[in-house]
Amino acid sequence: MNRQSILSIFVFAVLFSVVFTSCKKEEHQYHSIIDKIEAESKNYQGTNISSEQFISEIEMIEISEDGHTFLIPERKSQIKSYDCNECHSKPINELKGKGHGQKAHWDLTLVHADEKTMNCATCHDESNMNLLKSLTGAKIDFNNSYNSCSQCHSKQFNDWKGGAHGKRIKSWAPPRASLTCVNCHNPHKPSFDSRWPVRFNTQTEEERK
Amino acid sequence: MANTKKWFSLNLRNNKTANNDSCGCGKTSGGCGSSENLHHMSDVDFDAAVDASIADETPKDGFGQVFDVQMDRRSAFKKLTASLLIGAGAVSTSCSVIADDDAKEKAEIDWEEQFKGNYKLMTDDEKNATVDRLVRSYQIRTGKTISMSSKNAEEDVLFGYAFNISKCQGYMDCVNACIEENNQDRNSEMQYIRIHEMKDGKGLNFGEADDNYYHEVPAEGHFYMGTQCFHCDNPPCVEVCPVQATWREEDGLVVVDYDWCVGCRYCMAACPYDGRRFNWSKPEVPEKEVNHNQHYLGNRLRKKGVMEKCTFCVQRSRAGQNPACVEACPTGARIFGNLLDPESTIRWVLENKKVFRLKEDLGTEPKFWYFMD
Repeated sequence: MNRQSILSIFVFAVLFSVVFTSCKKEEHQYHSIIDKIEAESKNYQGTNISSEQFISEIEMIEISEDGHTFLIPERKSQIKSYDCNECHSKPINELKGKGHGQKAHWDLTLVHADEKTMNCATCHDESNMNLLKSLTGAKIDFNNSYNSCSQCHSKQFNDWKGGAHGKRIKSWAPPRASLTCVNCHNPHKPSFDSRWPVRFNTQTEEERK
Repeated sequence: MANTKKWFSLNLRNNKTANNDSCGCGKTSGGCGSSENLHHMSDVDFDAAVDASIADETPKDGFGQVFDVQMDRRSAFKKLTASLLIGAGAVSTSCSVIADDDAKEKAEIDWEEQFKGNYKLMTDDEKNATVDRLVRSYQIRTGKTISMSSKNAEEDVLFGYAFNISKCQGYMDCVNACIEENNQDRNSEMQYIRIHEMKDGKGLNFGEADDNYYHEVPAEGHFYMGTQCFHCDNPPCVEVCPVQATWREEDGLVVVDYDWCVGCRYCMAACPYDGRRFNWSKPEVPEKEVNHNQHYLGNRLRKKGVMEKCTFCVQRSRAGQNPACVEACPTGARIFGNLLDPESTIRWVLENKKVFRLKEDLGTEPKFWYFMD
């Protein structure tokens, strides 16, 4: 190998290293955002930001379902006439008719599935009105009413546990606090009516005329 | 701070600090001496001079803005002298021994604001200083107190967003919440978020979609899809900005320094998602509707001729709250969170639902995913 070729190899080596080191930009070191998320979350240590200051005024209970642990609002204290057994001391049939005082929810109608599928006793435990019950008769606490809903709505339940269905309460930060089914859906009429949008942009309308 | 200053400071009020609210005689406004002052330039005159230099024009484009301007001798003279007056105002206030304290302080603040640097190059002290000046300036002008933050990106946070197109019902509660939260111009009815009403079976056809519908929703045979700034990880708007007035923060938010923006609208042209908005006129927000919880990079009041856009409500998100649109949505179609937290709900959505983004092939890497139930 003569001097000239050694020199040219040296020159190429220097050029090569200059070109390839100078082009490595810090910002574009990942091929895609998913790569970036995977790489940067490997050493995730948690942050100083917490949701606690935003949810401190709401009474919450912690639930754990299939490896997802999070907070949901406590329910029983929000039910207007809980405890139910204060009125429901006798079977419903005996309570019907005159002479039994104030009727709390006489106008309640069930608009949930059809009559063949559901009636009051599908969810409410007739033997103890303070509780709900599952299809097989297992007791369900009002605070955990999502266990009642999840029997049929398993797909929604799955999404809710993960966080794809429903709403977080105020904060994106941990600890996770989410609304439970009955915070949005009326269990006796779970669907929503159509309504008018809250906004109409008159300027846009004007511009597009 | 003083030794890092890159420009000369006015000291009009002789050795008083910027935060000193009262002068020697205990008055909070007005001079300590006589109020008779023929040479003093009042706030009204000063504002008139400024207004004259940025007088309201009807929106025109390119050539029209420069040449197609009806101008009489009077307004031409006004325009020419307006900028001189601003300088003269500062000089007259500074030379006057009896000009009121607020006017002097305002002149000082305007001076400092004129010469401050690009926000992303500022030290934390400089960021705090500009925020303090802006808060004080607002206080002098309106008598109202705002709180403005310059909170930096938190470590180990990368914000991301998911939108469920099977859940959105087109109510537009998000749009209203966004406008109120972010102090958007009420006159031009600016909105960062658009909700597109799309026909079932036509795919994602934005050309045929309607983003300004007004009828009962959800309409039969339609679905709804919201768009806003997607906070791309490789944002083309940032690349084209000739003055680096817009950039991506460490937590992934693409932000604008409204005081550095020159209003060229290159970013607006470069954005493939129509995520950016321009203030053609001076943004107007009724004083009682102004959101006083502000961030320098977020919802602070803008001026005429600058770009603005969704910031994922930086004033809320960096404090730990959900953006206003997420909070306002009654359907739960909007999901927001930290992409770097493996336990976050946004991560669960990305890992368990079939997600997609708009124009993925452009390589812009939006941090805004769509999914269906």
